[in-house]
Amino acid sequence: MSSTFNLLNKYPWLPSLKDYYSEIASKDPSEFVSEAFSNEFSDELKKRIIELFKAAFDNLEKVSDYKTDKLNIYAYLLINILLYVLDNQMIANRIANLYSKITYDQLIKEKNDYPIYDICQNLGLKVRYYEPPISYGKIIRKREGEYQDLKTNFTIHFIDYLKLASNLRDEYRKLVHNSISGGYVFIQKKRIIRLIQEYVRNKLLIKKTEDKASLKSFLEKILEIQGFKDLFNKILNAWTERKEEFEYVFKINLDDKEDLLTLYPPCVKEILRKAQEGQNLIHNERLFIVWFLLALNYPVEKVVDLFSTLPDFDREKTTYQVKFAKKKQYTPYKCLTLKSLNLCMASSYKDELCLEGYGSKEPSERKKLAHPLAYTQIKQYRASKWKNNTNKQLGKENE
Amino acid sequence: MSNTGYLKRLFQAYYKETGVEVPVVSLFNKREFGFIPWDKQIIMKRHMSFKDHANLAKYLTNEGPRHVYSSGSIYLQPDNTDMNNKQYQGCDLIFDIDVDHFYTPCKNEHDIWYCMECGENGTGMLKKCPKCKKLKIKSLTWICEDCLNIAKEELMRLIYRFLIPDFGIPIDQMKIAFSGHRGYHLKIENKEIRTLSSEERREIANYVSGNNISLDILGLTKINEIIYGLLGNNIGWPEKIINKIIEILQQYSDDRIRLLLTKFGLHKDIIRSFLNSKSDFLQMISQNKDNIWNIEGFGLKNWSTFLNGIISEISIEIDEPVTIDIHRLIRYPGSLHGKTGFKVQELYPDDLDDFNPLNELNEKLDPIVFKSKKQITQKLEVLETKVPATKIKGELFGPYTQGEKIEVPHYFAIFLLCKEVAKTI
Repeated sequence: MSSTFNLLNKYPWLPSLKDYYSEIASKDPSEFVSEAFSNEFSDELKKRIIELFKAAFDNLEKVSDYKTDKLNIYAYLLINILLYVLDNQMIANRIANLYSKITYDQLIKEKNDYPIYDICQNLGLKVRYYEPPISYGKIIRKREGEYQDLKTNFTIHFIDYLKLASNLRDEYRKLVHNSISGGYVFIQKKRIIRLIQEYVRNKLLIKKTEDKASLKSFLEKILEIQGFKDLFNKILNAWTERKEEFEYVFKINLDDKEDLLTLYPPCVKEILRKAQEGQNLIHNERLFIVWFLLALNYPVEKVVDLFSTLPDFDREKTTYQVKFAKKKQYTPYKCLTLKSLNLCMASSYKDELCLEGYGSKEPSERKKLAHPLAYTQIKQYRASKWKNNTNKQLGKENE
Repeated sequence: MSNTGYLKRLFQAYYKETGVEVPVVSLFNKREFGFIPWDKQIIMKRHMSFKDHANLAKYLTNEGPRHVYSSGSIYLQPDNTDMNNKQYQGCDLIFDIDVDHFYTPCKNEHDIWYCMECGENGTGMLKKCPKCKKLKIKSLTWICEDCLNIAKEELMRLIYRFLIPDFGIPIDQMKIAFSGHRGYHLKIENKEIRTLSSEERREIANYVSGNNISLDILGLTKINEIIYGLLGNNIGWPEKIINKIIEILQQYSDDRIRLLLTKFGLHKDIIRSFLNSKSDFLQMISQNKDNIWNIEGFGLKNWSTFLNGIISEISIEIDEPVTIDIHRLIRYPGSLHGKTGFKVQELYPDDLDDFNPLNELNEKLDPIVFKSKKQITQKLEVLETKVPATKIKGELFGPYTQGEKIEVPHYFAIFLLCKEVAKTI
C-alpha cells in the first residue's frame, strides 16, 4: 500500500480522498450509507462513531483506542453525514473540537516531518521544507534565563498562514509577532500542526442548512437503513441525556437565587455565547472573562468549566492560569479598553444601559458607563429595587 | 455662473479632451463605480458599472463629476444595489496614505482651525479646542511640498521596507497613484491576495502599522531583576526595531536624540542617563550576543515607552479602515479630484523618487492639468478668513485674507475654487 493510502486512512479529511478512494468518497451519500451498513464491519463502525459522539458529549479530549485503518475513512464520511442530518450547531462544534484534537494528537505522534509536509501539500498550502533547519533568531527561556536558538524546518506563505491562523486570533499567532521574510512565515512544526488542527475543525463545522426540505427528505431516506437508524437514535438519546447540561452550563448563580446572565453586560454575554458554541476565544477575551467572573467571586472550577468547550482546552493548564489570576486579583478591563480591543458589544447588542448611560431620566444628565462590573452592579440594584417595589405593591394589594 | 457650475464645465471639458486617456483599471467591467456630483448636498451615486471604457469616458464628459471612484472589489453584478447580491469575487489589497490622518510639522504653518464654540483659532492639527476644550473644531487643511513628501516617503517605506522584503510582493503587482490631494494610494493586484477576508487584511494592516504589538512577546522581559531586551537577529519586528535603534544611535546627534526621546514621553533624567550609556548600549545591541538592557533608571515601563516610540518611528501611517474594508471605493486613476482640480496620477514605483506633485517637471506625470501656455490669469475674491501661503509650480501665492481681490494663474485659481476659499469675480 502506498504512503498516500496510509496517510488517508489516518487523515481522511485530506482533499485527495476523492482521488484515491473515489469508490467511497464520490458515492451518492444515501448509497454510501446503505453500503456502509450492509458490510461485515458495520457493527465496528457504529461502535467507533458512538464512542466518538459520547466522548464529545462528555467533553473528553480523546477517544480511547483510536484506530487509523480504512474503516476510519467510512467513519469520517459518516460523521459528516450525521452532522448534516442532526443539524445542530452545538453538536457540530463538539464533534469538530474533539475530532480536530484527535488529529492534533495523531500528527504530533508522527515520527518524522514528511507526513506533515505531505499533508500541507495535499491541502494545497504553500509550505517550504528546509533540511537542515533554518535559523530565524533566538529567544530567552523565561524560567532558566538561557538563550535558545529559534530554528525550524518549515515556512508557510503568509496568505495560507493568515487563512488558517486568523480565526485563532491568539496573540502569539498574530502576524505582527511572527518572523516573516520574502512572503513566508517561519513556523515551528508544533504550530503548523495546530494550524492543520484548525483546518480540520473548520472543515467539520457545518453551516446551518437553509434547505430544510431537502434535509428532511434525505433523512427520511437514510433512516430506512436499519443500521443507520439505530446509530442515529443512539446518538440522539445520548444527546438528549446531556442536552440540559449544555444549555444551562452558564447559568451559574452567585447566591443560587438569581440568574446572573441577565445582569451581564453585552461584552460578557458575547464571550459566553462564543464559548458555549465551542468557538475559539482570543487571548484578551479569555483574560477578560476570567478576571470578570473572578471579580464576581465565581468558583475557580466553574470558570475552568467555561473553557472546557474550547478547541485547545487543557484542564490542567487552565486551572493553573485561573488560580494564578485569582491570586493576583486582576481587575477586568474597563469599557474604554474593551472598545480599543474591539470587545465592546454595546452597539451590536443595542444595549440601553451601555449606550445611554444611567443616573437620570434626562439624557444630558446621565452618566456614562465606564466599567462592565458597574453594569452588573447597576442591573443588580435595579433588579432588587424592582423586586422591593413589586413586593410592596403586592403587600398593599394584600392589605 | 456659480463656482460649482464653472468647475463642472471645466471638468466636463477636461474629460471631453482627455477621456480616452483615463486609464482602464484591471477587470474593468467587474468594478463598482461611484461618483459625487457638484450638487450642494453631497450624496454619492454608487452601484454603477460600465461595460467598457468608452462608456465611462462618455459618462465623465456628460456629468463632469466632482469625484470619481471605483471599487477595489470585483463583483459579478457590480451594479446591483444590494451588497449581498453583488456576488463578491474578491478585493485588491489597498493602502491609503493620507497626511490628513497623521501629524506633520508643516501643519503648524498651513492648517488653520477655528473653535465654533468660543471663537478661538490657531494653526496645527488638533481635535479639541485648547481654550474651551470643546470638540467643535472647524479646520481648513492645506498642502505643501513638505507634507506631500512625507506621504511619499511613507509610501516608499511601505513598499521597500515591508511589502517587498517581508511579504515578497512583486513590484509589478503594485499600482500606485497620487490621490490628487493629500496622499497616495497603493493597490496590490494579486489573485491570491484578493481572496483575503477583512479579518485577514486586518493582520496585514496591523503588521505594517505596528499596531497591537506585544513587547513581551517580542522578547522584552524581566527575569530575576534583570531586564532582557529585543534581539536584532530575530527576523520580523524585533530586527526592524534594533536596526532603527542602531541607526538613531549612530547617526543622530545627542540633541536630536534628546528631542526624539522627549517626544516618546521619557523624563529628562532618564534621557540623560540614556545618553550617558549610549555607546555601551550601541555596542551591545550591535553585537547581538546578549540582550541584557541595563541602563540606570530604565525599568520595564521606561523601556516600553522607549520601544513604543521606536515602533512609531518605523511603522507606516496607513489609513487602516481602507485596507480592512473590502467594499470600499477608491479614487479612479486619471480622474480629477474635486477638492483641488488635480489629477489622480498613476505612477510606477521608479517614478516615485523624483515625483513632486506640486511642481512636477515630467509633463506626463504632472497632476496639475489646468495649465495654459498663454499664462491666463483669473480674478478671484477670497472668502475664507485666512488662506495660507501656497507654493505651486515654484511660485509662492498668498497668504490671503477674507475680502482680498487677487489675480492668479488659471491652475491656482481652480485650486482655490475647488478648495471653496474663493469665488470668481
